[in-house]
Amino acid sequence: MSNNKSKFAKNTLKTWFSQQILENRDSLYNVAYRLTRNSADAEDLVADTVIKAWDSILSLHEHERFRAWIFRILHNGFISQYRKSSKAPTLKPFEESDSGQETHEVAELLIEQPNDFLCWWANPEKNYFSDLLTEDIITAIEDLPKEFQLTVTLINIEGFSYDETAEILNVSPGTVRSRMNRGRTLLQKALWQHACDAGLINTTQISEYI
Amino acid sequence: MKDKEANKQLVEDSDCLEAMDHLYAYLSGELKDKDSLAMMEHHLSHCKSCFSRSEIEKEINTRLQSTKQLETPESLKTRLDDILKEMD
Repeated sequence: MSNNKSKFAKNTLKTWFSQQILENRDSLYNVAYRLTRNSADAEDLVADTVIKAWDSILSLHEHERFRAWIFRILHNGFISQYRKSSKAPTLKPFEESDSGQETHEVAELLIEQPNDFLCWWANPEKNYFSDLLTEDIITAIEDLPKEFQLTVTLINIEGFSYDETAEILNVSPGTVRSRMNRGRTLLQKALWQHACDAGLINTTQISEYI
Repeated sequence: MKDKEANKQLVEDSDCLEAMDHLYAYLSGELKDKDSLAMMEHHLSHCKSCFSRSEIEKEINTRLQSTKQLETPESLKTRLDDILKEMD
């Protein structure tokens, strides 16, 4: 009898696990692709992740935390396997921020962006953001140092909370917040530069501030 | 040059740096501390440039949330189906 119960419980767990994988498959692949930068390695990483996740499923005590849990396995898998291999893509180095560096970067951004142009840029009637392709924003994100890119991806694209992102990346929530601040500040600077380069912002008037 | 110096002074004298420190957490709904929330809401209602900046960031958030995901390759779908079938 107990064998039947045990078998039933296992089948139920398998069914549930399979459903979770199906629901998260696209997101897992997308994040894996962002990490590895090629499809074959991303596929391998996702497949390895699913195998490892099933092998350690009994360590997951709260099923509602499945998503953050499996993305942590994915991230750990990337770090341990792909960073050590010759196939690992070149990762942009970054320095974990101290608050001084972060404050300096933010202050620089605020100083570079004169108020008049900010108000123009944010005016919903202006067409800058209509002209700015989502692809341009994604490209700008991909240019960020890897840990900022990953943080922005997990929070802004995949919809994880700061706490979940901290769990996935095995860092403190304070570090997540710092990486978001720096990542998004750098992103805004990149988009600002893109706007200048594209001639969407009057560079003659900007030069008065330089 | 003179205007940039003036802008720099304005930034250093203002609460904008502190507001920026909380902006992304605020926009993500992650700012739980009541005092910080009140500070943000007060600052954004009084500072045109930070309000503008927050509108820009909201637009970027919207774009990112609606980003079309890469389609999972058929080869990976098949591979995962096989893995799930073989699980014991």
